[in-house]
Amino acid sequence: MTYEEFADARLGALLRYAVMLTGDPHQAQDLVQDTMVRVQLHWRRVARSDAPERYVRRMLTNQFIDWRRGSWARRVLLRGDVDDSVPASADHAQSAVDRDQVRSWLSRLPRRQRAALVLRYYEDLPDGEIAEILGCAVGTVRSSISRALATLRAELVEVS
Amino acid sequence: MIEDELRAAFARLEESTPPVGPVRAAVDRAVITRRRRRRRVRLAGTALAVAAVALVGFTAMAPRPPAPTAAPLLATPEPEPGGALNLLLLGVDQSAGSRRADSVLLVHVPADRSRLYLVSLPRDLLVPAPGGTEKLNATFSRATGSGTDLAAGYRATRQAVARLTGVRVDAGAVLTYPGARDLTDAVGGVPVCLPEPVRSVHTERRFPAGCQRLDGAAAVDLLRQRYGLRDGGLDRDRNAARYAAGLLRQMRERGTATDPAQLNRLLIRIGPAVTVDAGDLSLPALVGATARAGAAEPVAVAFPVLAEWNGRGYEADPELTPGFLDALRADRLGEWAAAHPARVTGLR
Repeated sequence: MTYEEFADARLGALLRYAVMLTGDPHQAQDLVQDTMVRVQLHWRRVARSDAPERYVRRMLTNQFIDWRRGSWARRVLLRGDVDDSVPASADHAQSAVDRDQVRSWLSRLPRRQRAALVLRYYEDLPDGEIAEILGCAVGTVRSSISRALATLRAELVEVS
Repeated sequence: MIEDELRAAFARLEESTPPVGPVRAAVDRAVITRRRRRRRVRLAGTALAVAAVALVGFTAMAPRPPAPTAAPLLATPEPEPGGALNLLLLGVDQSAGSRRADSVLLVHVPADRSRLYLVSLPRDLLVPAPGGTEKLNATFSRATGSGTDLAAGYRATRQAVARLTGVRVDAGAVLTYPGARDLTDAVGGVPVCLPEPVRSVHTERRFPAGCQRLDGAAAVDLLRQRYGLRDGGLDRDRNAARYAAGLLRQMRERGTATDPAQLNRLLIRIGPAVTVDAGDLSLPALVGATARAGAAEPVAVAFPVLAEWNGRGYEADPELTPGFLDALRADRLGEWAAAHPARVTGLR
């Protein structure tokens, strides 16, 4: 597979994944851009791996979790994590909770937990594969997902 | 229930996914500039097969500096040691009566000799010690005491590093600040590129962001700065790695390491300020092995620690450390660095 073929096939999915991770289209774009630059520069190594797609997803996830020092991290810091400027919708009837509320709770979770949630509930991956992407044990995946869900449930109880 | 909310939130988020086209174009543009820059670096470096980082700096100065009349160091080619090598470099501050290892740098020379990896170990990293934990640099002070035996401090630190990382330390050296100053001046100054300005709390000096050439006094001043940096001691470690990379670059450009006459002059000048442990390796063999790896731009990574100061020191990051150490032991630091770009220190 060439880099071009890979980008044709997977760039859209990676962008969607990055949007779920960051909760913000601009940050998602930065994150994907930085990752894909490295992917292209080191394409031979990426292509040599058993599953290039998983390898790249892993790179992207690591970069997201490891946000402290990277170039895009600084931009994230400047922008702040939680977008409070979005006014909450007044129509509570449409959903049990406000639509933007889940998003803001999500953005307050530790990045690793958030990534685990996205991988399970958006990408619908089995725990084994999630563990591989996050570079940890299956048990760690399960515990961080259950911790994240518990946090979200607590928030939910508070508003309802 | 909460799971459904989550799926719904993700589905709504999906609508805000940016279009693919502009991202793809931006990636291609960035790749072109990066490739161009890389080529320039390579051109600058290829002509000279060089420079065992500070190694030449460090290595060569055995405890007894070679006499001026001694045969040139590199005259007799020796078989190069095979496999990966790990070298330990300590930068020591002995200005305040006691001696502290301020910078602890593990230089990893991969088996393929493609480049050097500069691994900064924070001096405040908590390591197992009899009866609990202690800072990595406490091992040095304890062994040295108030005496002048830098070699004892080095041996103790070497042991602690070997225990911590599980790799064998093949050789190493201790450089004091006066030694670093002389070394810097002897090679004609060292280029250092800083991402952010640094202001000295010891002198009036200000180091602007960007690339600059430092003379000996300025280099030492920079190496001592810790206060006011965003990450304190961790940022100082990054600056030490930048200095080592700059020293390497400078020696490469001047051909210092490949020119026996130049090298000899350098050794005589700074020999007394450096303590060296060549391990089982002979000096020429060590220089030969590192010289090839030193011809490429090095990669600097920091030992993964939790960014929060826990009151006594830095704790190893429980999630990243195992993978990092596996990579170090298995000679796969390149892959690790590629997967953890945020842990790589920018050198230019």
